[in-house]
Amino acid sequence: MDLLLQYLANGLVTGSFYALSALGLTLILGLMRVVNFAHGELYMLGGVMGWWATTRLGLDFFTGLLLVAVVMGAFGWLVDRFLIERIRDQGEEAGILLTIGLSIFLANTALLAVGTAPLKVEAPIAASPAFFGPIVLTKLRLFAVAVCALLIVASWLTIHKTRLGRAMRATFQDPMAARLVGIRTANVYAATFAMGTVIASMAGMLLGSIYSAQVSVGGLVSMKAFVVVILGGMGSFAGAIAGGLLLGVAEALWGGYVATGWVDIIGFALVILTLVFRPYGLFSRSAERA
Amino acid sequence: MTFSWKPLVAALALPTLCLTAAAQESVKIGVIQPLTGSVAYNGQAFVAGAKLAVEQRNAAGGVGGRKIELVIEDGQCRPANSVNAAEKLIQRDKVVAVAGAFCSSATAAVMPVAEKYKVPLLTGVSSKADLTDKGMQYFFRSAETDRLMSSTFSKILAEKLQLKSVAYIGVNDDWGRGGVEDFSKDMAAHGVKTVMKEYFDHGATDFYTLLTKLRAAKPDGVFVAAETQDGSILVKQFKEFGLNTKIFGVGSWATSDFIGLTGEASEGIYAAVPYASSMPGERNGAFVKAYAAANKEKPGKYGAAGYNALNILMEAVGRAGKAEPEAIRDALRKTDYQAPNGRYRFSEKGEGYGFDVVLVQIVGKEPKVVAEAPTEKP
Repeated sequence: MDLLLQYLANGLVTGSFYALSALGLTLILGLMRVVNFAHGELYMLGGVMGWWATTRLGLDFFTGLLLVAVVMGAFGWLVDRFLIERIRDQGEEAGILLTIGLSIFLANTALLAVGTAPLKVEAPIAASPAFFGPIVLTKLRLFAVAVCALLIVASWLTIHKTRLGRAMRATFQDPMAARLVGIRTANVYAATFAMGTVIASMAGMLLGSIYSAQVSVGGLVSMKAFVVVILGGMGSFAGAIAGGLLLGVAEALWGGYVATGWVDIIGFALVILTLVFRPYGLFSRSAERA
Repeated sequence: MTFSWKPLVAALALPTLCLTAAAQESVKIGVIQPLTGSVAYNGQAFVAGAKLAVEQRNAAGGVGGRKIELVIEDGQCRPANSVNAAEKLIQRDKVVAVAGAFCSSATAAVMPVAEKYKVPLLTGVSSKADLTDKGMQYFFRSAETDRLMSSTFSKILAEKLQLKSVAYIGVNDDWGRGGVEDFSKDMAAHGVKTVMKEYFDHGATDFYTLLTKLRAAKPDGVFVAAETQDGSILVKQFKEFGLNTKIFGVGSWATSDFIGLTGEASEGIYAAVPYASSMPGERNGAFVKAYAAANKEKPGKYGAAGYNALNILMEAVGRAGKAEPEAIRDALRKTDYQAPNGRYRFSEKGEGYGFDVVLVQIVGKEPKVVAEAPTEKP
């Protein structure tokens, strides 16, 4: 019983990390219909910049996080205005090729700049164990889960309660009509991509402080994020959260009771089952958008 | 006044001629290591060691008056990429010998290619035991096999750490599984009980599930087969989880990066390694100094492996007296190389032996040598 509780706790923690990692991807996919294969690399850049800010510039974690958010937001904006702009309305293939190219470019540039060594992001609080009855967690992990929740709520509020969010939803429902009522759609597209980039990079820095930041981590992050997005349905907040938690708990239980050596199998099995039985995701009402 | 252009032309042409002659004469040695991907960091260390060996050799006049030139390719630890790299090195760059690859599965794939073109292949890293059992005529290994490590260390561990029961954790590949199997078998022969065997995937970041299982198994000691990146995260989470069991590991555990990444959590862990920068001896002292000057860090297992592998190959080229693969292969068989960590020789199968392996404990962020033993001829 104690074991089961610990497995569930582990699964929920990693699950909320998965949810946050996937959020940027699901937003960009759901709102813009751009399949962003560079998602994992944006996450990686967040971690690498977090390392640079906390160890090289000597900033504390939160100032570093703010810096990462600002710089990566500007970067995302520029990527949209100068790259994605060119392939808008040309179908999904062009976007896929573009983002794959971008991911290769980013990964190798980072490789050239900081090398292959794992990098340490200074954590805001110590990783000493915290006991809850039979369950062991660390304060740092609880803190990270809280930040995950905060970021998810903040992005939901941005999209559902602000003027910008309304403009985003309007633009992606019908760009022509949005333009007719005076929305600058080019800016809305750029803002959406910037927002996805900011979330991905903040996730990268936050999780970098728990694990470590690595230049080569992008592919793995993208893979898990795609699993979560397919499980939850694209563009769905509830889907990303539920998909992330489901994946985390399933991996923890599989690892705990079957074999830790084959946990990645779980993600793929879930994806195949979802595609067969609920192709729009567990939480998506057929063609709903965010 | 008569003016002859001839001496002037000759004077101008001479250095150019010399340069082209020297360039033609340089002997090319190929290196296949993972420069990207999850073990890239260790591959880069191998390359750093290899470069140091070549620089030192070239500074001392090269081999038989000819400079050595390294041609480095990225094999990504994948069989397919490593085979492509080998084809390119042998066909296009015309290297006389190849050092590589890193991962055992990649090396196993490159071996038939080296055999086909009759080019000597020396791995300084791949430790899967059966690589030398395939009857390859051009394959050599200057690395410890898991079997060799296991039989040398099991006795020391069982007696020194007084272990009664041990849990085994390994990375989910040939090397990790092989290490866990060999150690658990040899430890069992010394009366140590196995309470758990678990594996995790390359690049895994969260080990809490595994640690939960470990806590429930209540062992005296934990054996871990993992490389720097995975291993450091595992040890960190191990301490976060509030576990205080003795840890002993194989892989690159005694390196300064491992200790830096793991931080406080590295204190007190044991590592069974073929090389540690704190090994005694003048040769090692000089090597550590030169490596640290070039790379701003002390050499670890892979830095030393790269250094030794290239020195063995260059000595063989020197003994062969000509840059022909077949002559180099014959010369390799007669290797007797004084390394920073002992004396390398090869058995008939191309298996290296004679070098020392050490058990270290990390104390005050430095690996302290606890026990040292030479490997015996297999």
